[in-house]
Amino acid sequence: MAEIKVMKAKDMKKVSSRQKVGKVLGLTATYLFLGIMAIIVIFPFYWMISSSLKEMDEYRRAIPTLIPKVLDFANYVEVFTSEDLLLGKLFYNTLLVGVVSTFFSLIITVLSAFAFARLEFKGKNALFALLLATMMIPGELFTITNYQTINDFLGLATLGKALGNQFLITIGNWRNTYAVLIIPFLVSVFYIYLLRQNFIQIPNELYLAAKVDGTSDFKYLCKVMIPLALPTIISITILKMMGSWNSYMWPRLVANDEAHRLITNGLRTAFTNAEGVTDIPVQMAAVAVVSFPLFLVFIFLRKYIMKGVSRSGIKG
Amino acid sequence: MKRIISSIIALVMVLTFCVGAMASCNVGDVNVNVNGNGGDDVVIPEEGFDTTKPVTITFYHQMGAALQEILNSAIADFNELYPNITVEHSSYGDYNGVRDQIKTEISVGNQPNLAYCYPDHIALYNIAGAVQTLDSLIDGQYGFTAEQKADFVPAYYNEGKAFGDGKMYSLPISKSTEVLYYNETFFTEHNLTVPKTWDEMEAVCRKIKEIDPTCIPLGYDSEANWFITMCEQYGSDYTATGDDNFLFDNETNRNFVKKFRSWYQEKLVTTEELSGGYTSALFTGESDSGTRCYMCIGSTGGATYQQPNQTNGEYEFEVGITSIPQVDPTNPKVISQGPSLCIFKNADTQEVIASWLFAKFLTTDVNFQASVSMNNGYAPVIQSVKNNQIYADFLASASTANIQAYAVKVALDQANAYYVSPAFNGSSVARDQVGLLIQKCFALEGDDVDSAIAKAFKDAIAECKYQSGQ
Amino acid sequence: MTTNQVKTVGVRKKSFAQTIRFDKWKGWIYLAPALVLLLIFTIWPIYNTIRMSLLEGYTTMKDVGGATFQFGIGNFKRVLEYPGFITCLKNTILLCVLTVPISTFLALLIAVCLNAIKPLQRFLQTIFFMPYVTNSIAIGMVFAAMFNMIIGGSARPDSVGIVNNVLEFFGFEYINWINAGSEYWANIVVMVVYIVWNALPFKILILLGGLQGVNKQYYEAAKIDSTPKWRVFTRITVPLLSPMLAYVVITGFIGGFKEYSSIVGIFGESMGPVGNAYALDTMVGFIYRAIGNQEGTASAAALILFAIIFAVTMVNLYVSKKTDYTGKKSNAKKKKKAPSAAKAAKAAKPRKSINLNATVKPVIAWSIYAATLVIAIALALIFWL
Repeated sequence: MAEIKVMKAKDMKKVSSRQKVGKVLGLTATYLFLGIMAIIVIFPFYWMISSSLKEMDEYRRAIPTLIPKVLDFANYVEVFTSEDLLLGKLFYNTLLVGVVSTFFSLIITVLSAFAFARLEFKGKNALFALLLATMMIPGELFTITNYQTINDFLGLATLGKALGNQFLITIGNWRNTYAVLIIPFLVSVFYIYLLRQNFIQIPNELYLAAKVDGTSDFKYLCKVMIPLALPTIISITILKMMGSWNSYMWPRLVANDEAHRLITNGLRTAFTNAEGVTDIPVQMAAVAVVSFPLFLVFIFLRKYIMKGVSRSGIKG
Repeated sequence: MKRIISSIIALVMVLTFCVGAMASCNVGDVNVNVNGNGGDDVVIPEEGFDTTKPVTITFYHQMGAALQEILNSAIADFNELYPNITVEHSSYGDYNGVRDQIKTEISVGNQPNLAYCYPDHIALYNIAGAVQTLDSLIDGQYGFTAEQKADFVPAYYNEGKAFGDGKMYSLPISKSTEVLYYNETFFTEHNLTVPKTWDEMEAVCRKIKEIDPTCIPLGYDSEANWFITMCEQYGSDYTATGDDNFLFDNETNRNFVKKFRSWYQEKLVTTEELSGGYTSALFTGESDSGTRCYMCIGSTGGATYQQPNQTNGEYEFEVGITSIPQVDPTNPKVISQGPSLCIFKNADTQEVIASWLFAKFLTTDVNFQASVSMNNGYAPVIQSVKNNQIYADFLASASTANIQAYAVKVALDQANAYYVSPAFNGSSVARDQVGLLIQKCFALEGDDVDSAIAKAFKDAIAECKYQSGQ
Repeated sequence: MTTNQVKTVGVRKKSFAQTIRFDKWKGWIYLAPALVLLLIFTIWPIYNTIRMSLLEGYTTMKDVGGATFQFGIGNFKRVLEYPGFITCLKNTILLCVLTVPISTFLALLIAVCLNAIKPLQRFLQTIFFMPYVTNSIAIGMVFAAMFNMIIGGSARPDSVGIVNNVLEFFGFEYINWINAGSEYWANIVVMVVYIVWNALPFKILILLGGLQGVNKQYYEAAKIDSTPKWRVFTRITVPLLSPMLAYVVITGFIGGFKEYSSIVGIFGESMGPVGNAYALDTMVGFIYRAIGNQEGTASAAALILFAIIFAVTMVNLYVSKKTDYTGKKSNAKKKKKAPSAAKAAKAAKPRKSINLNATVKPVIAWSIYAATLVIAIALALIFWL
């Protein structure tokens, strides 16, 4: 440590004024670059807000206006008062599905990633490659088969019908339940892969040391690996929450009754008139309204990413 | 690495083998001709419909909130007649949403009892033999009276029979059409006559162009409708049921496309896709582009979008509405669009009859038909609605201020001009393709336009055949 | 393998045989929940996809209607015979090869810059993540609007899209980006911008997460040596981030080959500018259209796409394994580094020299590898057809 400090001090002396100027220039360039990119990245967000404040007539123009001519907050009023959109129920459903599926998904992801990153077992590499391969098939093709699966899970509903057993019929048919919104997408190979990449970064020495101490794998996973990989785990949490929030096709297909409808489906159908023309400004207002809590969650979790970072040194 | 790849290959081979083993069990003749699979009539039991036993039917549609309110009150009226029938309905956003939902549900035998549909949806469902033919229901003890049958606008009613086998598959529920909206103030000011034929249309467009050189006199919203309607007006082939579905590659069609292309190139006309938005925006003067249209051919369902801006409570100009131009004004042809109702087969005859009773109620109930029409500007499918006092008042209020009523009035007055396109699995592909064909041909540049148009037609036919699985 | 050696050392306290038996199955026990769900909701559908692809002319509607289907490779033939197949393949590959390196590089640059600054860091981070809470409807529309130049017969377009306004400001001519009559290269540029934009937040999130997990001592060491910044970037940042980079590149390629919704977002279902429909059609676009009423053909196309993605991913994995600084191969090097901060700092120096001389290729190199391979496959396919 002392050595480093000495070196640093020496280093500082060497820094000439020219280097200082260079540093300032570099910093300016960095900020300029980030600023420009930030504007580009933020623009659609702005667009969403600006559209939500437009009147329908203005919105429908062939050439869109950048800034609303008249600020029309009526769209927001409609979002909160519309009987089309039972906001409370939609929020509740989405939150429930989002939280529960994120929770279980994290458990499954952590366990699987750990197995792939640290444990040695026969067929590990082949299995991992197989999992990666499943990511490569366009998911839409799964929908047809999965829909059949949830209508008659493992043939239980058919069996129940044959036996006249109401219980089997009920547990065989998952339509319009919370389960059907949660279970089929609990496993995400993307997340397992992501976390595995993070886990293998953690030096093997820690694991070996733990082994020598006789620490069990599970304890090691909970005590060392999870805290070390916390930033990634939080990233996965955010992504999974976002996924639940934005999922559309599957929920529409399997649970589009009033009791289980999720927010995206509620939004897409809510402000469409008989012509099939959607009142997009109101819809945008609704999107902005429902995005807001998510945004808050995001800001809140970002602090934890920082916290996780400070802990992610080798010391753990 | 080698191990990974070899194990994957092994897995794929095992899976393939399983598939092969399974598939070899049911190899048989390819049964392609399943178009006519849905023809079984329902037999009404002798004891008739049991009005004491509760029965629940499900109904899928794409209605927005306002229409659902109307539907709910119609269901309440219906329940006064049949208290034992519960109607559960849900909206799937748009027509394609309804179709996709039902298609998936059919694959597990879970389809609803009745649904809003377009003819090509029925053709699709019918491959699985899922649609109930209505003939025995129409003529049966709960069927239509002769009076009720005659009350339907004939072309609307016949749409249910356009499937090539003469059987009735659907009932019309509410229909829109295309009309010509024109800037009446401008026409009066410049002493122009509203065109009745396409030749007059060309002349008027040229006159308008002289008056306002930067304008595009005519906007035609739907390219596909234009093509299909022109086929009908010229009497040339478009599509047909049977073995050879796609017939639109013929000289008449190529010629009218070429003619309209030159109009487009001279900036006499534009379309929704080519102008980058509904041409109603150009018509009402809402567009910032500096371009205006003085005529616009669009759907009656979108009439409110043709309404000009108001300044100090006055509309910027008066709108006139009339039928679209014709090739032969003595034999007019205009398109009819909008949903029909179809009933799905069900093992429980009670459910089928209950669905029929509800479908019959929706199509023949004057209150429901009138309310829907007043809400969305679609035309009712039965003519007796006009005798309803409230609806008559609605029609009488037709003006720029009540542009929806104006559009519906014109739509009702041309009831004899509606035509029916053949419906088959792939008819919507044809519709999409001719729409794209117009866009492509209009935008063509270069010298050898004829051969480019010919190639575009040929490609479109090939694409139709490919996409419909032929 | 070092792991095995130490394992045996560690477990001597317990019954040797017992532990071995347990260890053999332990991995599978950890994986059990994932595997059960995957079996039901992923593997079974894949099996079904293969089945459908091998039944000629299969559609679910016909199946429900009681039709039977011949077993064979007719569906695959149909896909390859489709006149637009080459266009789909070309567009897919072009977009993939362009967008993955660009978006990865930009994301890396932004992540590194974000990591390097103090004031405004939190604020900018939030901004870069914000697109995540926007809705896809909104995003597609805004991009279309930004590039939209309406020329529908008007002699004097009042609005040409904000992008053209910017071009005008710098003294360039207007470009017709996406409207009728626009050229292919312009369309591709718009798509690349849109796709890169779309991919950025996720990649920044992952890379920044990775960067903040990187031990600061390496940078300290570099500072002491006053290593030039670009060198720190290529010799320390990129290698240390290599697992995360591998992740974003591989998933980027997989996503890139499945490109569809972004094109619909800009051009609509016709997958091309007005008057030139399907000019930007992709493999998934083709699959989507077929899925409506030709599930057999759709399945066959999906499997063909799968084969392509699989080949590319294998190359990606292979290259990333070779260059994986933190992977097994570098375990030996790592062993020198003791798990305490002070020692690590000391170790950083010899480490750096290893870094400088080791055959660590930056991620860009593997992107190029993969791209080359993809192009090779495409050319082979085109010639073969």
